[in-house]
Amino acid sequence: MSRKIDRRTFFERSAVSSAGLFLGGMVAGCSVKKSEGISDYDVMAEVMRYRKIDAHEHVDLYSGGPEVQIDFADRLGIERLVVSKPVTTQTGTPDEFREANDHILKAMKLYPDRIMGQVTLNPQYLKESMEEIKRCVDQGMVGIKVYYQVKINDPLFYPIIEKSIDLKMLILMHANCQLGMAGYRMKYDTHLNPNTSLPEDFVEAAKRYPEAMLQYAHTGGGGDWEYACKSFRDYPNIYVDTSGSNNEGNMIDFALEYLGEDRLFFGTDTSYYQGVGDVLASELNEVQRKKIFFENYNAVLRKGGRDVA
Amino acid sequence: MLLDINSYIGHWPFKQLKYNTCASRLETMNRFGVDLSVVSNLNGIFYKNTQSANVELYNELKSDIQFSSRFIPFAVINPIYAGWMDDLENCITKLGMKGVRVYPQYHDYSITDPGFIQLVKVCRDRGLPVTIDMRMVDSRQRSWMDIPVFDYNAPVKTDIIFREWNLQNIMPVIREVPDARFIIVNLANSIRLNIEDLALIRKADVVFDTSGRSLMGDDTLSELLKRFGSEKFAFGSHSPILDYLTGLLRIESMNGSEADDETKERLRSGNARRIIGI
Repeated sequence: MSRKIDRRTFFERSAVSSAGLFLGGMVAGCSVKKSEGISDYDVMAEVMRYRKIDAHEHVDLYSGGPEVQIDFADRLGIERLVVSKPVTTQTGTPDEFREANDHILKAMKLYPDRIMGQVTLNPQYLKESMEEIKRCVDQGMVGIKVYYQVKINDPLFYPIIEKSIDLKMLILMHANCQLGMAGYRMKYDTHLNPNTSLPEDFVEAAKRYPEAMLQYAHTGGGGDWEYACKSFRDYPNIYVDTSGSNNEGNMIDFALEYLGEDRLFFGTDTSYYQGVGDVLASELNEVQRKKIFFENYNAVLRKGGRDVA
Repeated sequence: MLLDINSYIGHWPFKQLKYNTCASRLETMNRFGVDLSVVSNLNGIFYKNTQSANVELYNELKSDIQFSSRFIPFAVINPIYAGWMDDLENCITKLGMKGVRVYPQYHDYSITDPGFIQLVKVCRDRGLPVTIDMRMVDSRQRSWMDIPVFDYNAPVKTDIIFREWNLQNIMPVIREVPDARFIIVNLANSIRLNIEDLALIRKADVVFDTSGRSLMGDDTLSELLKRFGSEKFAFGSHSPILDYLTGLLRIESMNGSEADDETKERLRSGNARRIIGI
């Protein structure tokens, strides 16, 4: 990052034409130490220092085909993208989820070294969902992504979770947690789908299937991340990804405090800058950064023999 | 040189913030190589008498000699509260404030309220920029005590009527006082404008910060530089509410064909210095 005006030049020039300026001349006449203590932080050099797996990504959902994702990934040093195309209609018919999965298979073929696919399905169609898991896993998909047709703790989901345990695969479930969408203040009507999985639903599923691996989607997706992280503290088989557009300060550090350093995944959900910026701006140490950007997700993939070398 | 045009000290009543004092903000600035920060006091959103918050900020800035050369204080003014003109004058002449922040949504007045229009005209005449937030926090995770999202007059308080602002909600004041200076921050929602308003924005002295989530998809910063002009954007973090680096990443991750060194320098500090007048 080159800066045409360096700090010394700037302060010599302006010192600060401003100085007396600040605080109504409060500092006028004082010797102000200008550049002392300011680091030469190079944000792009920091970005590129870390290997990254984006644990929550989409193609053809709301920001174009895979070439768009690859462009952002290249800019931000994201090595692998775990992508899905969930069916966002309430019906979620087999034709719809097969078509969505075909998009992912196509993207995987276009970028075999960058894109890892997740199969989407609808437990209301159990037979077809099971067939779809087989079809997509046989073609290299590495996980399952589900939306809000059925809550994750619904008995309809049990066979899907059991299959994921057999395959040593993670289930990424869309989630929400806000007024009217968590275990408090349900009197508010947020007009969101009532079948959306809430933190309490994850906890119930995690307790029933302690060997399953469940990924709570997008803590930065606008929901109450404090509520979610506190809900999951005692359930080691619930992971969270940090994706989403709402890159609140302290979210990563709070999640670390409650969940530890092994259950957090870096993710974007197409909010690329927020996903990377939030982690870099956190207080994580070097080991924790490496874990969250890459190693934690790779460790999950390794359980099924699908890890990145 | 790097100048953050959008940062705060103070508290958000519904969630604990970190790095929300001048001392801790300065540590963060040093860590990430930020030379100067525009700062205002969040408490001014919640105090009925916003001048108390401005004095708090002044006193905190006065408490350490380092602060005066690194922070550019902006005053929070509520133009429908008694004595605001005296407060503004004091902020300019005695407290060293270099700009104004307004919160129509929180202070409960419309974007064309006569008091607000008068404030903007005074700021114009004094050469001060007026900063308007598109939103403070994401309403999806709002507290039940935050500004209302339901209809108080409805028999059952369940229907959401509140919608976060977009750029069109802010345009009326720019139309009313097109020769004032405006800083519009946290572009979290639509920034699409009709042809007339786009032409007005391009002509007006307006700077947007880079903290908002809407700078993505078809509206990446490189696209917006083409649409609005490269003199219209400046680094802003909206921290400590948002993280410190995302707004900077949007600038620094652009390649040479999207923004040359000269353009990036304007985004890092040049445009901010111009509109603040330093």
